[in-house]
Amino acid sequence: MARSWSKIFHLAIRDYVHEWLMSICFVLALAAVLGPMMVLFGLKFGIVGAMVDQLIENPLNREVRPVGSGYYDHAWLETVLERPDVAFLVPRTRSIAATIELSSEHSPRIVPVELIPSDHGDPLLSPDDPLPEGVTRLVLSQSVAEKLKVAPGDTLDGSLTRHFRGQQERVHLPLSIAAIAPAAAFSRDGAFVSVALLEALEDFRDGRAVPSLGWDGDAADANRTYPGFRLYARSIYDVAGLRDAFSKLDVDVHTHTTEIELVQRLNRNLTSIYWAIALVGLVGFSLSLGANLWANIDRKRKELSVLRLVGFRTADIVWFPMVQSLFTAVLGWALAVAIYLVTALVINDMLAAQLETGQQVCRLLPWHYAIALLLTCTSAVLAAGLAGLRSARVEPSEGLRDL
Amino acid sequence: MSSAISTAPQSGAPLIYHLRDVVKTREAKDAAFTLRIPSLQIAMGEKIALIGESGSGKSTLLDMLAFILQPSEIGAFSFRPERDEQPLNIQAYWKKGKINELGDLRKRYIGYVMQNGGLLPYLTVRDNMNLCRSVLGLRPDGMVEHLADELGITAHLNKLPDALSTGERQRVAIGRAVAHRPSIVIADEPTASLDPYAAEKVMSMFIGLAEEFDITVILASHAWDHIKQLGLRRLTHRTIRNHNKMFTETVVTG
Repeated sequence: MARSWSKIFHLAIRDYVHEWLMSICFVLALAAVLGPMMVLFGLKFGIVGAMVDQLIENPLNREVRPVGSGYYDHAWLETVLERPDVAFLVPRTRSIAATIELSSEHSPRIVPVELIPSDHGDPLLSPDDPLPEGVTRLVLSQSVAEKLKVAPGDTLDGSLTRHFRGQQERVHLPLSIAAIAPAAAFSRDGAFVSVALLEALEDFRDGRAVPSLGWDGDAADANRTYPGFRLYARSIYDVAGLRDAFSKLDVDVHTHTTEIELVQRLNRNLTSIYWAIALVGLVGFSLSLGANLWANIDRKRKELSVLRLVGFRTADIVWFPMVQSLFTAVLGWALAVAIYLVTALVINDMLAAQLETGQQVCRLLPWHYAIALLLTCTSAVLAAGLAGLRSARVEPSEGLRDL
Repeated sequence: MSSAISTAPQSGAPLIYHLRDVVKTREAKDAAFTLRIPSLQIAMGEKIALIGESGSGKSTLLDMLAFILQPSEIGAFSFRPERDEQPLNIQAYWKKGKINELGDLRKRYIGYVMQNGGLLPYLTVRDNMNLCRSVLGLRPDGMVEHLADELGITAHLNKLPDALSTGERQRVAIGRAVAHRPSIVIADEPTASLDPYAAEKVMSMFIGLAEEFDITVILASHAWDHIKQLGLRRLTHRTIRNHNKMFTETVVTG
């Protein structure tokens, strides 16, 4: 049995090579349908993928920001943080108190900066960089770092003033630069600091004592509340749910849900359009492949009859066109991949100026190629198998006479 | 109506084929054809000729003997390919639809020469001649080269059939049918497309090889002149056509 299979495999290859012109035509016919389909899917996947990636990769899209001021205490914040759809949450102090003037010995400028509360897992900061911890370390925004001509490891002088008991007071504190934040994290003059430092600055401005920094004042309030918070959802798909949850708690929030929904809708619409085109393409592809293989087997009936005459069995006769169809499928797929790769290269190159580094408008993942190959081979084997079976069922004497 | 001479099978030799009341009927829209074989006995080693005009049912009979055409009715149909084996009931094979098993018998015991050679265009002459041998898994033993030498086609062994003349292709087809040393070779007008001189030459090569390898031969031809001197037993047949050729019946006995 194995011998006759290997023999028929060998004969199928010989015939395929002998009829190379016809084989090339079959391969071209297949690639002509499959190639454009791959480009179409590459475009759909690339365009929507790039938009979704941009949405996912940009943490600003996951931000849920309260509108206006509220009174959020630790217990409330802890409850929110426990939600599985919340990735990051830190309280904000009053924005008017969350500023500081920074100066360095490398620059004559004094730069007033906004202070942003931060903590472990801050999505705006690089996870590889040191965090702004304690009351003496901060992460600068790039604009501030450039203005003050400083780098990580340098020390800055931070200063702030208050009116306390009828007098203007100014305090200074040394602040070491833990890291410089990525440019996209914060575009204005700002610094990421610990909540502890922000609370200390707010306490100082409110005339309260900050023992850790040696600043005098009134006794601190034990029941601290915060006017706002910085919150990031775990993914862009959690943003709408969080917005609704806050709405139930009567907390007005601002989110990027509109943009997210726009891309999701676009994805859905593009997917529908793609599948409509793909379905038509797939039907055309299957018909084209099936018709080609069917015609080929009909053409080969006489030669298959000779094989039957010399004693090959039914299964061997079916195997012959299936082997050839598999060749056509694999070669057609390879050519379609080549067509796709060249087209994708040209499209991506043409639009490179409008794209971020590494982004591609037309792209496919390895498993997309594998699925295309699997679909092609399955269709080919089915069409050839059916046609081969039909051929094998014909009485061998019928096909012989005209050879 | 036509008739032909008949001689009885050689006495003593076991029968390779024994057919009784075998009928093949073919019906088309405007014509019907029936081949009737009341009795046919072919002994091992015999050389049989079936002579008749086109459409008299020669190919139909050969195809049934090669198990590639199912008879419409069978009284008895036995096949005994080897002297030391029991006759096989071909009727039972057809009845049970054992197409593959009939193929196995054909592969092992039958060689077939078609009118136009039936060579595979993608195989060289050598591979075409070796086809039946390779299907049986026979190792190269110089048989193909020996046959090519006998048939005068050694120079063409590595060529494709396209490069050969019709006569050379027929010689390759004969070589392919004989190369695996079958018990019987069935030849359907093997020299029909050749000129008389070439036909006579090819036919005597064929019969010479069959005698060399002790192979039973059944051949169909429409020209008795080419083969009468080769000593073949001629089967009797009678063809009846009605006046408007709507119905043809051939009765073969031998």
